[in-house]
Amino acid sequence: MDRDKELRRAGWRLMASTLRPQRGWVITGVLAGAVWTAAKIIIPAFAGAAIDDGITPGKSDVVVKFVVLILVVGIVQASGTALRRYCAFRISYAAETDLRQRLFAHLQRLHFAFHDHAQTGQLMARANSDIQQVNQVIILLPLTISNILVLIATVVVMLLKSVTLAFVALGAIPFLGYFATRFSRRIAPVALELQEELGDLSGVVEESVAGVRVVKGFGAERRQTQRLEAEADSVLNRALAAAKLRANFLPLVDFLPALALVAILWYGGHLVLDGELQVGDLLQFNSYIFMLIWPLRLGGLLVAQSARSAAAAGRIFEILETDTAVTDPARPKPLPPDAPGELRFDDVRFAYAPGQPVLDGFDLVIRGGEAVAIVGPTGSGKTTVARLLPRFYDVARGRVLVDGVDVRDVRLEELRKSIGIVFEDTFLFSDSVATNIAFADPEAPMETVEEAARLASAHEFIIELPDGYDTVIGEHGYSLSGGQRQRVAIARAVLADPRVLILDDATSSVDPTKEHEIRAALQQVMRGRTTLIIAHRAATIALADRVVLIDGGRIVAAGTHRELLDTSERYREVLAQAEMRMVAAAVEDIEALADGEVSE
Amino acid sequence: MKRGGGGGPWGQTVVDEPLTRGEAERVMRRLWRMLRPWRRRIFGATLLIVGQTVCLLAGPALVKHGIDAGIDKGDAGELNLSAGLYLVVAFVALLFGRWAIRVVAGIGESFLRELRVRVFHHLVSLGLDFFEREKAGRLVARMTSDVDAMQELVQTGLTMFVQNILVFIGALAAIFIISWQLALFTFLVVPPVFFISRWFRRESNRAYLEVRERIGTNLATLQEGLAGVRVVQAFGRERAFTRRFRETNDALYDANLETVRIATRYFPVVEYSGVLGTAIIVGVGAWFVDDDVITIGTVVSFMLYLQNLFEPVQQLSQLYNVLQSAAAALHKLFGLLDTRATINERPGAVDLPVTGALEVDDVSFGYGEAPDVLHSVLLTVAPGERVALVGPTGAGKSTLAKLIARFYDPRNGEVRYGGVSLRGATMRSLRERIVVVPQEGYLFSGTIRDNVRVARADASDADIDAALDALGVRDRFLLLPEGLDTEVRERGSRLSAGERQLVSLARAALADPAVLILDEATSNLDPGTENAVERALEALTAERTVIVVAHRLSTAARADRIAVIDHGNLAELGTHDELLAGEGRYASLWASWNAAQSTRAS
Repeated sequence: MDRDKELRRAGWRLMASTLRPQRGWVITGVLAGAVWTAAKIIIPAFAGAAIDDGITPGKSDVVVKFVVLILVVGIVQASGTALRRYCAFRISYAAETDLRQRLFAHLQRLHFAFHDHAQTGQLMARANSDIQQVNQVIILLPLTISNILVLIATVVVMLLKSVTLAFVALGAIPFLGYFATRFSRRIAPVALELQEELGDLSGVVEESVAGVRVVKGFGAERRQTQRLEAEADSVLNRALAAAKLRANFLPLVDFLPALALVAILWYGGHLVLDGELQVGDLLQFNSYIFMLIWPLRLGGLLVAQSARSAAAAGRIFEILETDTAVTDPARPKPLPPDAPGELRFDDVRFAYAPGQPVLDGFDLVIRGGEAVAIVGPTGSGKTTVARLLPRFYDVARGRVLVDGVDVRDVRLEELRKSIGIVFEDTFLFSDSVATNIAFADPEAPMETVEEAARLASAHEFIIELPDGYDTVIGEHGYSLSGGQRQRVAIARAVLADPRVLILDDATSSVDPTKEHEIRAALQQVMRGRTTLIIAHRAATIALADRVVLIDGGRIVAAGTHRELLDTSERYREVLAQAEMRMVAAAVEDIEALADGEVSE
Repeated sequence: MKRGGGGGPWGQTVVDEPLTRGEAERVMRRLWRMLRPWRRRIFGATLLIVGQTVCLLAGPALVKHGIDAGIDKGDAGELNLSAGLYLVVAFVALLFGRWAIRVVAGIGESFLRELRVRVFHHLVSLGLDFFEREKAGRLVARMTSDVDAMQELVQTGLTMFVQNILVFIGALAAIFIISWQLALFTFLVVPPVFFISRWFRRESNRAYLEVRERIGTNLATLQEGLAGVRVVQAFGRERAFTRRFRETNDALYDANLETVRIATRYFPVVEYSGVLGTAIIVGVGAWFVDDDVITIGTVVSFMLYLQNLFEPVQQLSQLYNVLQSAAAALHKLFGLLDTRATINERPGAVDLPVTGALEVDDVSFGYGEAPDVLHSVLLTVAPGERVALVGPTGAGKSTLAKLIARFYDPRNGEVRYGGVSLRGATMRSLRERIVVVPQEGYLFSGTIRDNVRVARADASDADIDAALDALGVRDRFLLLPEGLDTEVRERGSRLSAGERQLVSLARAALADPAVLILDEATSNLDPGTENAVERALEALTAERTVIVVAHRLSTAARADRIAVIDHGNLAELGTHDELLAGEGRYASLWASWNAAQSTRAS
């Protein structure tokens, strides 16, 4: 609870901070609002005066004077409303854009461990719906300031005209504010429930469409229809509850001001009869009542909205206040130039969750230019070893050294540029093939891109694509096969000519019949680089000069693939387990084989 | 001032493509027919709204009376009477208003409920061909966003629409009755407001379509930046990617600002028109008062009615979008309702016999307008026999399986069970006798028990236990924290692919069919459940007629007979040994598979 309150307060501070760069516009908006308010108040006064001093005594020159005044002040009012609205919306959109940019930039910098725990959907919600919630309050702020001015000015003018009539006329008006606030508060949870019920309903639709084969196969159409009917009834039920709340509130928006008008007519009428007021004053009072309706309704909305917005801003703040755990060193050391890329893990301990070390007392030296495969059962920490090198995570104890320099002493950009990684899931961006390959260095000339592609055995298939290197791939573009994606990813990894190459399970998602193509590509790119291979396919492991078997967070055996096969029972076990899983996959290849045979 | 401005970021209805006049008329006529059960209530609601409007509009007239007959003449009695009547009509308007909102919501919401159920019922009754043709996302959108598009109309739009029209007409009538001379001049300000409102609606609709598109682009960049954050960091590209996001983010800002600019042009004109109206009433009114054409009270009442002329024009212009998008949504929904189901139960359909042979008699089939993918296939499966369908992807083996389950009807020939054509069978008996176990074990939200019960809605818990026991998998599920009551879609209790497959098999066991069509899984199963699935399959297929769409030759080899399908023809048919001896397609497939196996083992 306290945390919630704290976050809401932080949310308000965050909103204030997004408004700070907009100061100029805020001030302009408020001033424009003040001018607009003044004009809006004066016009009914002029109209009233025209009736009392012009029409009633029959002085046409006075009428003309006031008509001209009304038309002139009207121009001020119209300009005021234009500027006031422009400022309000501009401020809110600018704040929204700025906040989203800050959030994105921060998320891009946050360390891996943060992203491991965060769900993409949740982060998307922060950047999308939460920011919109925040925006709803920001947009109301300048309007609210204008509205408060309207409120004060009208009340003051009414009091100046006639204290008693002002009290009689305004008697019912505060209730409008009260009911508006109450309505906004009450409708919010019902609207939310309605949204949830609608979500459940579309859930039934979605799964019926996705699982249509099951539905049809078992003749479960009726069952699904019944489920939908139940959901549709819940929706109906909530929608009617919301309608009831609206029915209780909306007519009041007409009724309460009407009460004020009745009061003005009756009590004010008697004041006129007693000679204390004039008919034009009554008209003026009437106009002011109409002016108060919207400020009060919006006020109600603001009160109800602000709590939700502050909570949303608090959630955004929570992300922004998270510091990235992996930062550049205060006094960075350069990596020695032209060094071979020697890697050293020195008594390394690392844990994802406190108290459950994945690596403990891990020692390993990889000579420059050497290729080492790391093999181990699932959860043994073999991928972790690879992730400590580019500082995706920092060690808890010990050191990781590249060419004798602790990775924590190197600037992140330099460190990561000197290490090329091919990930297990080859994430490619929705962009051209060339842009994807040149990801590490967008300035790279086309020759470099092609060279990297050739090295990765990708050039041949890329030039066959519809637009060659300019073919857009990814979600909305051309879809590549697993092997092709993998080769593009390899080209991407070697473009910047890194001294160290990490193949993180790089062949596991590739069709085994196509594996030899990748293997050839890998052999080429590994030449002259220190390579760390995380693998469980024997064929991929065979690319390495040396194999280390890790289990329980430390090395239990080391040697060549052959040697380990001969000497280590555990190694054979681990490989056999991996093979088991793969044989199951391999058997499915019969389909591919059969296809190949037919096409020949 | 209007609800924070039509230029605001919320509550804006965007219309993609408005219907043509003819389409809109057809939609409206059909809607009116559909509304038949509600017509009396609609009539009642209209009366309520008319009553409310009359009461609202009576106010300014009573003010006029109070001023002219009471204040001007110094008659306190008339003044009290006017104020008293005003109080009464205001109160009556309140009561009518409450009542009208409830009645309209009752009509609208129950209509939407009916529409949802009807569209869904129709949707699930459509054939598999429809689902294979249409994108799932679009079908879901029909049921969600299209129906929701009408929700806004029903919630506030409809009442406001009717009420605004009535207020406008009523106010116009009122001012003309009070003084047609002054009314003529006052009316001058209405056409400009009308035209600029129309301009504003069109322009802001265009601008908001652009905003919507840029929101989409921006979200896509955002999504990619988050999904690919590890790659971005691995290559040290954080700053470049942040710049890339800035481009789409700023583009969205520009589009938003464009909507602000449009609104900035609109609202001053509308406000100034109001001022102009006031000036006309004062100026022209003074002149008429001087000539004794009208009274002071008339001038005051006109000022009060001015509001009632302006607001409706602005609001109707906004509501027009809501109305248009609702009509467009209805149009799409009607299109769906008009799609005819291809697989229907014929009148006079008979139940399939309890047992019998399955005959595929000279069957040809093609999808939609496309050429045949199966050519004169002839195959008879004896009761209790196990036949494997083998062949390359796209050869037609899955299509044949679908015809046997009557997901489609053949173009030529017939599929019979126990001598009865599937076309002439009742759907209930068909689904009871012949059951398809799909490749992926699809799970619905709900518990494991609920998911098994999909196969037979009236099954008792004991029936479900029995089905699970028959496959020897009940104990496995009982090990889960909540046992059979485990919610399958809930976080943390995700079932593995193998376990999902087991649930799928349990469904088939509960249905207890005579014929089982298995589409073999191609995806990986974890070694732990692989064996359980194998055992369950053995138990399930025992003593049933089985057609298996085989992706693994090892599965095919275990069948009684193997049917090799190639290019839509039944190329070979016989036992494993017969086909190997025949040295045909199957024999060569078997040889290359064996070769592949041995290279991989090394």
